[in-house]
Amino acid sequence: MNSLLAALLLLLAIAAGLWVIDRQRARRFLRWIADPTASAMPDLAGAWGLAAAYTRRALGREETRAAASAARLDTLLTALDALPDGILLLDREGRILFCNAAAAAHFGLDTKRDQGQHIAHLVRDPLFVTWFSWSGEPRPPLEMPGHPDASGQPVQLLVQRQAYGADCLLLLSADITAQRQTDAMRRDFVANVSHDIRTPLTVLAGFIETLQNLDLSAAEKARYLGLMAQQTRRMQALVGDLLTLSRLEGSPLPSQGERVDLNALTAHCAAEAFALSTRLYGPEAQHLRIETAVDFDFAGSASEIGSAMSNLLANAVRYAGAKGCITARWSRDGEGQARFEVTDNGPGIAAEHLPRLTERFYRLDKSRARFADDADSGTGLGLAITRHVVERHGGKLQIVSAPGQGSRFALLLASARVLARA
Amino acid sequence: MTDKHLSSQFDNELAQLSSNLLAMGGLVEAQLRQALAALTNHSDEFAEAVLAGELRVNAMEVAIDDALTRIIARRQPAAVDLRLLLSIARVTGNLERAGDEAAKIARMVRAIVNSGMPTLPLSDLQLACDLAARLIAQALDAFARLDTIAAFATLKEDAAVDREFDGFVRKLITYMMEDPRAITPSLDLLFIAKAIERIGDHAKNIAECVIYVVKGADVRHRSLAETEAAISAAPEAGMGRP
Repeated sequence: MNSLLAALLLLLAIAAGLWVIDRQRARRFLRWIADPTASAMPDLAGAWGLAAAYTRRALGREETRAAASAARLDTLLTALDALPDGILLLDREGRILFCNAAAAAHFGLDTKRDQGQHIAHLVRDPLFVTWFSWSGEPRPPLEMPGHPDASGQPVQLLVQRQAYGADCLLLLSADITAQRQTDAMRRDFVANVSHDIRTPLTVLAGFIETLQNLDLSAAEKARYLGLMAQQTRRMQALVGDLLTLSRLEGSPLPSQGERVDLNALTAHCAAEAFALSTRLYGPEAQHLRIETAVDFDFAGSASEIGSAMSNLLANAVRYAGAKGCITARWSRDGEGQARFEVTDNGPGIAAEHLPRLTERFYRLDKSRARFADDADSGTGLGLAITRHVVERHGGKLQIVSAPGQGSRFALLLASARVLARA
Repeated sequence: MTDKHLSSQFDNELAQLSSNLLAMGGLVEAQLRQALAALTNHSDEFAEAVLAGELRVNAMEVAIDDALTRIIARRQPAAVDLRLLLSIARVTGNLERAGDEAAKIARMVRAIVNSGMPTLPLSDLQLACDLAARLIAQALDAFARLDTIAAFATLKEDAAVDREFDGFVRKLITYMMEDPRAITPSLDLLFIAKAIERIGDHAKNIAECVIYVVKGADVRHRSLAETEAAISAAPEAGMGRP
């Protein structure tokens, strides 16, 4: 009887012990499962250990999946950030959910800090606010000034709005500054061409009418015909330059194979410059010093380089005035680049004109550099052609000038096209 | 503006009021841009646009004040809400007056264009006007973001506008000494310069409001150093939300 009781008590004690151990394991397991990380898994025996191991396996799978989708999201966001166009995701109220780098630059936002801000609180232009809050359809894209770019230049934006998902909004912004500038330039170009062609035509028409209706002496007739010839020359020069420009724009880059004899070409351009100077100011009035001895050659188009050099020389002759002093020479710099430099002691050019000098028909001053024979005044396309030619030959046009200090125009040509003479 | 209230209706009212205030700010910014364009292009076309916009700015001021009064009466706000509402009232007043100054500039430009004295240094004012307009934009950005650092930058930059004003006055004097006929248009220019200087001051006042909302510190009429100390300090005890 007693032994039976003792055995019962022993069993009870063992059961109680097991129960306590189990409670402890359960407690450890529960403590871990409240905030489960794979590394902190308790080392448990028995069923609790199995449960922990299964949980850990499931957890690992989940973590891998989460990491993969986080990586995908990161890639996607990086791609959005790399887009040249601005993307803004807005909630129903117009608060910013996401903003890529381009949109931040366009609107002057901060990609991180401005999340949750109402877009109209930061983009306050009344144009935008009215457009944004207007509920009617269709909603045309909005053209508006954006936040000035890094160098403080004004920026023009085209903004579109698109609904997506459950009443979220997508704003797309594109920088159309360059496009608008091109449009303006094209308009100016057409207006200038029309004007420059019409002027000589009007003069010609006037003379023709005079010749038809009046009985003129032979001397007068000759004078009028001379003036008419001048006007036709001017038109010819203009149309010639226009054709040159359009040919430069449309044709393939000049080949590397053609060897240009710079000696002969420079001598030819120098002769032209002397002739122009004599025609405009009389012989020996201007002081021209053009070095025609060049000790290297050049690979490219002889006619194009020739016209670029002539343009620079002709400009110098025209703008330096009757007592002008002009020097021109070829040289090579340390990196092997070829350089044709034309320096004059003319009136110089104010800084605000310099960046626009190579635009078509851009003239410093309507009154300056007009000569008796209009054909000598230049077409207003010379520097545009020069810049085109130089860029086609992998170089650039460099202009240094200040009012009262003369000007220095230089053609810089890539070393790859410079050929040493045998 | 982001903390939640028990009454989300109150939150909506505050958000709506802030939106209206910033919309009014946008309008005043546009006014300043147009005044600047009038100055740059010697154009009375832009000047007319500024004068037309003036009426809208005034109407918005009245509407915001009205909404403000109703909110204060109904909600009896305390702490940060009270500071926000007080600041909205102040910013509204400052914006309206900055708008007035823009209109003043427009009227003067019109007078100068009509008088035909093109040799005066009108373009010298562009830089200062641009600077003042940017200060207003910066102060409003700081208000929208409750950004005390940007607000402090505005306070510092206002000094640059003041320097431009002093330099310009000295220059005008030389013009007036050179040619007595230039005195009348020069006086107009002086008023423009003064208006620009005042716009800078309004931007400064708005920036001070931002610091007041966030830090609970009233930094009006205090030196820059004292202001900086107030910004870096924690919000004053007792001024925070109970």
